[in-house]
Amino acid sequence: MTVSVLGRPVGGTTPTRSPGPRGLPLTGAQSGMWYVQSLDPGSPALNTAEYLDIHGDVDPVRFAEALHRTVGEADALRVRLVDTPDGPRQLPVPVEAPGHGFPLHTADLRDQGDAEAAVAAALAWMRADLAVPFDLASGPLFAHALLRVGDRRWLWYHRVHHAVLDGYGYALVARRVADVYTALAAGDDVGPSPFGRLAALVEEDAAYRDSATYERDRDHWRRHMADRPAVPTLSGRAALPSRTTVRHTAHLGPEAAARLRELAASVRATWPDVLFAAQALYLSRATGRQDVVLGLPMMGRMGSVALRVPGMVMNVLPLRLTVTPDATFAELTRQADLGIRTARRHQRYRYADLRRDLGLLGEGTALVGPLVNVMPFDYGLTFAGAPCEAHNLSGGPVDDLTVGIYDRADGSGLRIDYDANPASYEDGEVAAHQRRFLDLLTRIAGSDPHRPLSELGLATAEERERELTEFNDTAAALPPTTLIGPVEARAARTPHATALVADGRSWTYAELNTRANRLARHLIVLGVRPGVLAAVALPRSADLVVALLAVLKAGGAYVPLDVEHPPARLALVLEDTAPACVVTDTATRAATLPDTGVPAVLLDDPALAAELDRHLPTDPGRALTPHHPAYVIHTSGSTGRPKGVVVPHSAIDNRLRWMQGEYGLTAGDRVLHKTPTGFDVSVWELFWPLREGATLVLAGPGEHRDPAALARTIREHDVTTAHFVPSALAPFLDEADGGPLPLRRVFASGETLPRALADRFHATLPGTVLHNLYGPTEAAVDVSHHRCEPGESGPVPIGRPVWNTRLYVLDAALQPCPPGVTGELYIAGAQLATGYLGRPDLTAARFVSDPFGAPGARMYRTGDLARRREDGALDHAGRADRQIKLRGQRVEPGEIEAALTRDARVAAACVTVREDRPGDRRLVAHVTPASADAAAEAGPLDPRALRAALASRLPEAMVPSAVVVLDAFPLGPNGKLDRAALPAPAPVLGDRRPGDAREEALAGLFADVLGLERPPGVDDGFFDLGGDSLLAARLVARVRAALGADLDLGTLFRAPTPAALAARIADGPADDALGPLLPLRRTGSRTPLFVLPPAVGLGWCYAGLAARLGADQPVYALQARGLADGTPPAGGLEEMAADCLARIREVHPHGPYRLLGWSFGGNLAHAVAVLLRAAGEKVELLALLDSYPGDALRGGPVPAEADAFADLLRMAGEEPAGAAPVTRRQVVEALREESGMPAAVLREETVAAMARIAVHHAGLTRRHRPGVFDGDVLFFTAAAPGGADRPSRHTWRPYVGGDVINRDLDCPHAAMTRPGPVDAIAETLARYLGERC
Amino acid sequence: MALTLEQIRADVADVLGEDPADIPDDENLVDYGLDSVRIMTLVERWRRDHGTEVTFVDLAEKPAIEQWAPLLGART
Repeated sequence: MTVSVLGRPVGGTTPTRSPGPRGLPLTGAQSGMWYVQSLDPGSPALNTAEYLDIHGDVDPVRFAEALHRTVGEADALRVRLVDTPDGPRQLPVPVEAPGHGFPLHTADLRDQGDAEAAVAAALAWMRADLAVPFDLASGPLFAHALLRVGDRRWLWYHRVHHAVLDGYGYALVARRVADVYTALAAGDDVGPSPFGRLAALVEEDAAYRDSATYERDRDHWRRHMADRPAVPTLSGRAALPSRTTVRHTAHLGPEAAARLRELAASVRATWPDVLFAAQALYLSRATGRQDVVLGLPMMGRMGSVALRVPGMVMNVLPLRLTVTPDATFAELTRQADLGIRTARRHQRYRYADLRRDLGLLGEGTALVGPLVNVMPFDYGLTFAGAPCEAHNLSGGPVDDLTVGIYDRADGSGLRIDYDANPASYEDGEVAAHQRRFLDLLTRIAGSDPHRPLSELGLATAEERERELTEFNDTAAALPPTTLIGPVEARAARTPHATALVADGRSWTYAELNTRANRLARHLIVLGVRPGVLAAVALPRSADLVVALLAVLKAGGAYVPLDVEHPPARLALVLEDTAPACVVTDTATRAATLPDTGVPAVLLDDPALAAELDRHLPTDPGRALTPHHPAYVIHTSGSTGRPKGVVVPHSAIDNRLRWMQGEYGLTAGDRVLHKTPTGFDVSVWELFWPLREGATLVLAGPGEHRDPAALARTIREHDVTTAHFVPSALAPFLDEADGGPLPLRRVFASGETLPRALADRFHATLPGTVLHNLYGPTEAAVDVSHHRCEPGESGPVPIGRPVWNTRLYVLDAALQPCPPGVTGELYIAGAQLATGYLGRPDLTAARFVSDPFGAPGARMYRTGDLARRREDGALDHAGRADRQIKLRGQRVEPGEIEAALTRDARVAAACVTVREDRPGDRRLVAHVTPASADAAAEAGPLDPRALRAALASRLPEAMVPSAVVVLDAFPLGPNGKLDRAALPAPAPVLGDRRPGDAREEALAGLFADVLGLERPPGVDDGFFDLGGDSLLAARLVARVRAALGADLDLGTLFRAPTPAALAARIADGPADDALGPLLPLRRTGSRTPLFVLPPAVGLGWCYAGLAARLGADQPVYALQARGLADGTPPAGGLEEMAADCLARIREVHPHGPYRLLGWSFGGNLAHAVAVLLRAAGEKVELLALLDSYPGDALRGGPVPAEADAFADLLRMAGEEPAGAAPVTRRQVVEALREESGMPAAVLREETVAAMARIAVHHAGLTRRHRPGVFDGDVLFFTAAAPGGADRPSRHTWRPYVGGDVINRDLDCPHAAMTRPGPVDAIAETLARYLGERC
Repeated sequence: MALTLEQIRADVADVLGEDPADIPDDENLVDYGLDSVRIMTLVERWRRDHGTEVTFVDLAEKPAIEQWAPLLGART
């Protein structure tokens, strides 16, 4: 459209005056820009600029005159803005004549080469000038340049601060300059000024603010935006304004532009309406939001004096649009038209005022998404006959994205600029969005506007092809087999290979297969066959593996029942699945299984054993096909019931065949099974190794929560392959620091794998490969995979699809999303589950028709959000619904809410996951009480009781760590529940104060770990205060470190309050640490070393030695009986040695034996060795650490306690000083040293008991007549100076048949087990054993 | 052919997608959805069909049919 904007000058429209010396206040529009500039005074972002490309002869002097005259007429331009006590004001600035200070730069750039080079040089100059900020207070706030780029081509450049001129104003100025120039060239009268005055603008603005219209407009916008949606942006990021803008310019061809105009006319709209509708469609699809808010720039001059004032008037207003896939483009255009019309009626209300009204103060609180700035006019000017075209260079600051659309006068279509805030967008992102938007416009132009929007996608044809075909090229021809078939084939091929290591022993493939076959045949008798379900409720054990195999062998599908789930939950699952039987054992049935009438197969029932023996041990026959179900696993259901996912053999078989193809398990591999069978990760853990001839290693029951135990099991059994949920991987890596692990590969899945964790993994386990897997239970465990490489950055992708699997990222209309655009992830292909058991409605909702597959193909709607990378890998991007992933477990808040509202006293419930402290994600429930009547009837609402009720019905992972009772839920502006405004739970702390130091320490640790402001009362439960299993592990570690207590997680669960835990810790050492046999290391392939205690009777002093002997050397410490109460057993040293021997034989029934003893322990070790030899056993090591036979010690009677104390001190390596009697305190200190026990655990009573025991042992030594050991003795002498009067090793001569091989250590007796000496001892032992054994 | 008030109203209603009977002569047309693009459309149409010389600013300054009639030389 080329039309004159400004017509004949109209004189005397409004009585006006120029800004006087005191100046004028700013208009609302100016204030907005002034404020933005004042936030960053040095920023050039408020510069606006354009240039006119003039083709023809231009007289630069005449041009300067025209320009000077025009500027002189435009008083709105000739101001500076100063801050005064009354607010900012605008004051006039003088304008000098051209050549005398008038801001007009001229240059002849023809020497740059051809026209193209000259234009490039000119543009470079303009960009440099555009980067120069104006000084608002000094002015002038405009600058010009006339650059000659050809003999008959000139560029007029024009830069103005946005506080004094807007886009329409540019047009007024340009037209007047052209008119004056043309008149001057023709010698005509230039006529009076066409411009209105700045004062008129200010007056009109002030009048508006005092008017009823202003009130009406304000009310309109407040109402209109009260329930505004969150502001979606294409980048998904909010950023502060930048000083620069990234601009990408593109053109829509004339044909497409013309068709868009026709389309607009056909639906009685304007073409800008069509562009708004198209951008809303794009934004909606790209952000996955149905409701979008575009920024609508408004000229703001209709019916106003501003039509003739070259000043700053324009405004931006929100345009809310709702984009649904079923609507047509015509309807969306109509919606845009009506929305813009409505906005126009209230267009003078300022954006800044609206933001203030809505409480959106400060930065980063956007009200609108991208601005769509349609400029429907070209200037169509001529300079004395020379035509020109205008080019916008900068439209001012860009908060996020501005799409500038210019109608081009020459009929060449539309110019479409994407101006982006570089803090929010990568350069490539802007270009990609722009390219796709133009592609979308082209397709809209070519399509019927009355077709549903769902037919229009964002992806270009090429992007669509890559998404659907190239990235999903996963076809692999596989034989039709089942989950169990390959296990049986493997058992037939390698019957003698080790199939399973569990419960402290191992089974060959043949043994395992035989056991499973017999049980399978029994299950067949009970009715288990293809298509029939059989439940399995067993703790992790060999029996569990046998039971699962048996169900599959019978042809049935197994239903795992998690024995840690509450009976009420298991009852729901049993009711849901109606299994033919439940395979379990007596204890599990009694502890967890509800009484449902389902026949139980009790594996520990002797009668069953007899019956199984009668069954054939061979593989049973069954009419099993790949389409039959293999297992049914229950996941959280949003409507309050868990839902059973039915997975067919074909699906899981595909998954396991892919896994073998990708990772190639070999017979030498050992795979750890630790995931409870209620989670489908357990399926590959269990069956992958058994299909491939590898060995399956079972973690102990409950061990999956104990990273230290897992590390031990992995080391002990050479596990090469293991799985971790990322939140469990972190604590495991803490344990992995303790030495190398045999792991070759670790799989992570179940929740987002943080990059920092992957980095830590690579640093900790450099030789182990980390694989990130993704998939829902509904698609047979995993559907995508990514191998993590050290040095990668950014989010860890979930990767690419597995075999015979297609992954689609789709928008709300099920159209493929282009790379970088977040959509919902859909899965199609071989691994889809059959559906939800007995829930056709739910199945139909989630397993939908695959529009890209063969007829009848289905795809699963995951509810996960994902983004495609350019290389085809996928990034996970959260959830489309409220489902929560917590420590790898799927949690539907709806299920917990349903459980809460079953309580008559609860009116409504809302369950969210909160991260009130970084890294500490917790489930929290907020509830509102039902009516007073209900409360009167059922009693007041007690959060603890509610929590307890949930714990009886839901798995632990689904029990909120806190329940918060609110009078009412906080509501957002739209009247809906505002989840973000829910308060953090404040734990109600009890007030019973600690009774002793241990309780006090524990209460403090509780507070630290839970992030409490003060320590809890000693009767407050850890889990009631918000603790969960992860925090529990943290607490246990802290207690171990701080109190030196040998505490395990189970103890914390049983004793969850500071008081109860303190009592347990006090008792604990009596049970364990003070027990008669203390395993310092259970694992290792070498002959175990038994270490005998020094006089105090404790074996802890040998911990350092055990650590130095290496991971392959088991070490067991014997400890004295009677430490708990200080009453030693009757009998002499020989009886004591016999007692020790009995305990040694329990661990290691037959020789060879290795013995070591320090001090009194040496005497005991010698006695044990003599007994062993008498029994005909081989003793390959007897090591004595500065230990001497009783007759070498002082003679005389058994000492009194005081003497005993002195004796004890000597045994502890200290000489009693002077004649003063030795005090108990001295002994206590010395004994603490010797005991090796952490001080905090050593209670006064224990010390007293140790003293009595030690006295007793001293007496035993004196009375003992050693026998003769007929082998060699390895002796260590504490040879530090000062020990000269101590006996020598030669005192052993009468009692040793072989050699006494000595090594002197430069340390006192008491220090022999300390670092330094103990290093030498360990080294000597290793060499000695290496040479001899 | 000279413009008539009825023709002005009919053309305005056309660009607004409304019924002419719903367009009062004395109301601000901005409230009825009149915008710069539609004004330009009218300026063009009336110049082409009726030879008028009104400008965008002329019409935008007083956006009501009764204000436009004299500018357009319309018979009332």
